[in-house]
Amino acid sequence: MFLTSRRNLLLSLGAGLGPVALSNLLQADDSRSSPLALQPPMFAPRAKRVIMLFMEGGPGHMDTFDPKPELTSRHKEESKLPGGLAKGYKFFVGSPFGFRHAGDNGIQMCDQWKYMADPYVANELCNYRGCQAESLNHPEALFHMNTGSRLGGDPAIGSWVTYGLGTENENLPAFVVMTELALPQGGSTNWSNGFLPPYYQGTRLRPEGSPLLDLKTPAHRMPAQQKRMIEELTKLNQRHLETLTAEDERLQARIANYELAFRMQTEIPDVIDCDSESEQTLKMYGVDEPETNAFGRQCLLARRLVENGVRFVQIFSGGWDSHDYLKQGHTSRIKSVDKPMAGLIRDLKQRGLLEDTLVVWTGEFGRTPDNNKRGGVYSLGRGHNNKAMTMVFAGGGVRPGVVGATDELGASAAECIHPIRDVHVTMLHLLGLDDNKLTYLHAGRHKQLSQFGGEVIQDLIA
Amino acid sequence: MNSYKSPGIVRVWQMGMAWLLLVGAVTVAVCRDAIAEHAAVEAGGDNPGTRAEELFTLEVLPLLRAKCFGCHGGGDELRGEYYMTSREALLRGGESGEAAVVPGKIGAGSLLGAIRWDDLEMPPKKSERLSPEEIALVEDWVRTGAVWPSLEKQVAIQEAAKGQALDAGFVRWKTSGGTSQEWTDRKYLEKDLWAFMDLPPMEKVLPKGVSHAAAIDFFVDRKIEEKALIASPPAHPAELLRRVSYDLTGLPPTAGETAAFVEAFTHDSELAYEELIDQLLSSPRYGERWARHWLDITRYADTGGMSNDYERSNMWRYRDYVIRCFNNDKPYNEFIKEQIAGDELAKTSVRKRHMAAGLEGKQLYAAVRKTETDGEYTEREAELLVASGFLRLGPWDNAMVDDDQARQIYLDDVVNITGQTFLSQTLRCCKCHDHKFDPIPTRDYYGFYAAFATTFPVERPAPFLSVESRERFDSEKQFVEQMLSFARAEKKKLIDKREAAAQAWYAEHDLPYKEESKRRSDPDDLKPPRHVGLDHVESGMLKVREQDEWIWERRLERFEPLVQSVFSARDMPKKTQNARKLRRFTVFREDDGLVETCILTGGSLDAPGDKVSPGVLSAVSLRTQSHGPAHVLPDDVGGRRTALAYWIADARNPLTVRSIVNRIWQYHFGGGLAANSNNFGAKGGKPTHPDLLDYLSRRFLQENWSIKKLHKAIMLSETYRRSVVPVDETNLALVDPGNSLLTHFNRRRLTAEEIRDSLLSVSGELVHADGGIPVFPEMNMEVALQPRMIQFSLAPAYQPSVRRAERNRRTIFAYHCRGLADPFLELFNQPNPNESCELRDDASVTPQALTLLNSEFMSDRAVALADELIRTSGDDAVAIRKAFLRILGREPADVEIQQLLKFLRDSVENHEIELTARMKYPTEITRSLVEEFSGLPFEYREILPKFMNYEADLKIEDLSVEGRALADICLLLMNTNEFLFVD
Repeated sequence: MFLTSRRNLLLSLGAGLGPVALSNLLQADDSRSSPLALQPPMFAPRAKRVIMLFMEGGPGHMDTFDPKPELTSRHKEESKLPGGLAKGYKFFVGSPFGFRHAGDNGIQMCDQWKYMADPYVANELCNYRGCQAESLNHPEALFHMNTGSRLGGDPAIGSWVTYGLGTENENLPAFVVMTELALPQGGSTNWSNGFLPPYYQGTRLRPEGSPLLDLKTPAHRMPAQQKRMIEELTKLNQRHLETLTAEDERLQARIANYELAFRMQTEIPDVIDCDSESEQTLKMYGVDEPETNAFGRQCLLARRLVENGVRFVQIFSGGWDSHDYLKQGHTSRIKSVDKPMAGLIRDLKQRGLLEDTLVVWTGEFGRTPDNNKRGGVYSLGRGHNNKAMTMVFAGGGVRPGVVGATDELGASAAECIHPIRDVHVTMLHLLGLDDNKLTYLHAGRHKQLSQFGGEVIQDLIA
Repeated sequence: MNSYKSPGIVRVWQMGMAWLLLVGAVTVAVCRDAIAEHAAVEAGGDNPGTRAEELFTLEVLPLLRAKCFGCHGGGDELRGEYYMTSREALLRGGESGEAAVVPGKIGAGSLLGAIRWDDLEMPPKKSERLSPEEIALVEDWVRTGAVWPSLEKQVAIQEAAKGQALDAGFVRWKTSGGTSQEWTDRKYLEKDLWAFMDLPPMEKVLPKGVSHAAAIDFFVDRKIEEKALIASPPAHPAELLRRVSYDLTGLPPTAGETAAFVEAFTHDSELAYEELIDQLLSSPRYGERWARHWLDITRYADTGGMSNDYERSNMWRYRDYVIRCFNNDKPYNEFIKEQIAGDELAKTSVRKRHMAAGLEGKQLYAAVRKTETDGEYTEREAELLVASGFLRLGPWDNAMVDDDQARQIYLDDVVNITGQTFLSQTLRCCKCHDHKFDPIPTRDYYGFYAAFATTFPVERPAPFLSVESRERFDSEKQFVEQMLSFARAEKKKLIDKREAAAQAWYAEHDLPYKEESKRRSDPDDLKPPRHVGLDHVESGMLKVREQDEWIWERRLERFEPLVQSVFSARDMPKKTQNARKLRRFTVFREDDGLVETCILTGGSLDAPGDKVSPGVLSAVSLRTQSHGPAHVLPDDVGGRRTALAYWIADARNPLTVRSIVNRIWQYHFGGGLAANSNNFGAKGGKPTHPDLLDYLSRRFLQENWSIKKLHKAIMLSETYRRSVVPVDETNLALVDPGNSLLTHFNRRRLTAEEIRDSLLSVSGELVHADGGIPVFPEMNMEVALQPRMIQFSLAPAYQPSVRRAERNRRTIFAYHCRGLADPFLELFNQPNPNESCELRDDASVTPQALTLLNSEFMSDRAVALADELIRTSGDDAVAIRKAFLRILGREPADVEIQQLLKFLRDSVENHEIELTARMKYPTEITRSLVEEFSGLPFEYREILPKFMNYEADLKIEDLSVEGRALADICLLLMNTNEFLFVD
């Protein structure tokens, strides 16, 4: 451990260190010059970066991308389906929405998707219907989808990806997370670096106030004074270093950190500031409308971040947990993400970024085709379903079209069934990373995202 | 030692270096004719196979089975059309058409290249990749003709092998047995089992003529000399003082203390140093520092984590217990027993009391129960219950989890944490299978599991101890009641509105009014809609208020004499499977139901295997009982845990003793003698000085498990007193870059708590007080007030304590909320309490610089100090000098004074700006949330009464322009490496 942290600290300095010391402190198979320095992929990648749109709460697959006419025909009939945690009388709930085809690849979506249905966007989409989550409760399922482990505490997929590939811009965090004002259940464990060194932790850009805590110079301190203070501090630290007679890379790293912090103080606000975007672009993301403003801004920011070299961006959008009032709930949720997400895909495509940017839209699990009575009334909503869900991918080497299927009621995945770990392995594969080789020695074991290995879902790959 | 080597039998073949050389010597002949039989040296005596056949049967085949047959065996998972389950198929190769193995030729065939990861990479998982030794085995097998004896012959070879001696360096190890014979019979590298070996007696570890006082340096220096390295000279007295102060108390010495110590040191360095150690060890600050280490391992938090992050009321009693144990130097074996079985020991004590009073039979039983339900414990008994809080520290919530699964999650957690904490063993792997590397069969895991199978979490009545602080109960209770009455009043408004509408509905439908709880099961057409009279905003708000009501209601538990504990019972009381409600002890019975534990195959509740008795780790020679099975615990409902605790806390348990000694060493030096203090298994770091570890373990036992004596022994060594500056850095970088030989001391960055406590200490704000109810320090306001999702609502905002003197206590006394870490502490690597932390990370990441320079917390500390300095200093130079003394504990150099004087003058100019209006503390906030059912957003008001009479810190605006400039200087010094690192 001592060695590891020494190494990492020293490496955040990058150059400026003798080759002898370097070779001593590096693991043989890990010859990066700084923890976040660019690393070549293990094989030719299809994607270089990821934007993951996380619909917290679990969208209903049968209410978004996976039509179930049979279910509609049994609306309010009694359900004897097993599964879920609901006990007592259960009845089927047909989707409140109509469905139609969008684009030329067999994608179907409910009529609430207006912008996603445009063929320019829809033709890029891959709808995967075969994934099965494991957990029935939100935080565990969120942890599973984000970190590969239900228990939480392991590194997030974004951490693994930045560990594997490094970043193209060290002045920005390599793995950025955006949430609503409220954190999703389980909080920052969802983007934790786990046992990976802290450099790979997801950095949450806060939706209000300071995007990064303490990023701004305090109001009482003029910029000139801030600059001066860093200079004076460097002098003090340098003098201390000189008195020590022996080198200590960790101390040098801390000196360098203040310089980097100073650069971040200008670079992050610059990236976040979307004022330079054209009105047309802002409209494309729905930034001009109240329902889509929040998610639209985040999607636009995601594009700006990946353009500036950020490796992994994750955006959480909550409120999908429709146990009741499904129609109202999903209508408003779909509206809030439809235009921004379509705008993002369109924008990436227009800029030639889509082909090597993997966009993922998913929840932590799907929904049941039936519901139990709540408060004694037929509540038109759905329970949690760990046997079926729906995911949408775009760009980054995925094959447009529909992959896998759920059964006629949407109760369970029926074709091309894979656990979450296979989705993770596939995402890594698209990035040129082999899950079985992307390991980190922790507590005596080579740990990996999939825990014990998984399978690439070839059907998803173009 | 319980390995069953049988000396005297001639070894037939071996895997060590010697054999590789031997094979190398015969390779020439082998390669020439490639005929296996020629290559295999005929075995003598009663050995059933040739050496090559034995190599295959005993080494290569098990390896293939473990690493290759998963995909190339007979199962469904066949890959690359390649079978390896017969010699013919294995040689032939797969779909590529290329031969996989050419007998006798290690340069040919695709298999060897694949396992070397030259071209194909097999097995494809890095975690399962063959070691160089394993690859050498397969190469040798190919080289010697790739022989594949018949099944009968394999069996004969296996049988014969059991009786054979192993090569030096290898042992078989007796355990309760794995799920396969192969696992049971497997051999281990002896050095991998170092931790399981019995502790040698003192006379074996300490050479004659070496005194105890010289022992540590003897072991350390011996190795330094072996490598021809040079140890560093002793640290300067001021450095030493700072090192020892932080090490023992987590706080810096004052300038006055430094001067006094340096002075005393010049008179009699040994005496001064020893007195310093004694004095710090007897300071209450010692326990506050060392308890933090223990809480890292055991994962202390005041809340339960997961979806709801429920508060665990009075968990602080365990925190204070740990602090007291360190301060009182409670013998470690007692410390173990109390934490694992405190509740059972308390019960035994209660029973004894009643027996002494002449009660027996049913009367006795009833009296014991009455004492337990009424919580009429003696102080000692109550403390034992507090100690059992150890069994309540893991994150746990049963929301949306099936009862049996929730129970399994709890038990797995307790098994794992007990193994890691006390035995330095990671048992987690054995939940699903026999341990891949260590001599721990899955059977032992479930033996441990069974030892806890009668353990149920419960909140028990136990009077507060006289040593437990109850100050602040009144003010805190008043606050909780205020929050509660607000929630109730808001809820009532909404319910009144709803019920008025319901009454109107019933009237309209000509039906008699029924209140909400009574109409629920009525058919839809006979009752009003669910949220009648409320729009989505109001129904969302109602849900929030309902949640708030019970959150604050439950926080009233903070003031009850309750303790987070466990209870031994036979069945699974339903109500223990609930984190939402208080589990009052009285509801349980201990005498119905049945407890039976089975091995859960693959960790699955659906696949019960063999029944198991409560037990311990069978790889340790220490028996649980003198007669009968050696590693089985009694299966009484109560008592099995006590027996487990006694086995762990036994002086003959080598894991236990080595574990704690290694941990203590680690916290002194920044690294353990064995690098992974939670994992003494084959994959954990091997001890760099095994003899030293064993010596200290023996000495620790001789000193009756005294941790303080161990500290002193370590700190009096020269090894500990060395300077951080290495001698001959260049050579050292090549020979021992990680400083595992301890030629010099390891410089370390302060931990999160040390940084915060030190800042408060040097600014003159730190307040020492007894423990008790957690205090709420200021936290970055954006984080404190940010909404935080819980299962049905938002968690209440974090409100700091009203009074400065409460907020500015040591960090260990702060509220530790799993769902809301203090961002300052998190940034400096305070560990996430969901996982046991064996050693803190201390990586420097850029956001640390931002926070140290820009945060309100840092600014307030600098302001507090500057305010004092400006009031007590005649001129700028004096103020700067005092700032150095306070923050860095030393006089500034002239050049530093000149630098900062200039900076001060320039800063005054920079500070002559109009300051923006002072930040006002909000006394309420508006929350917005999406209503669960409708998906529509709504807003509600949350009150923050603590900010109404808030005793704010002094702010930069309160200072004069000169004061602000001086505050900048204080801030600079608080940002220096010199302040943040200990030499």
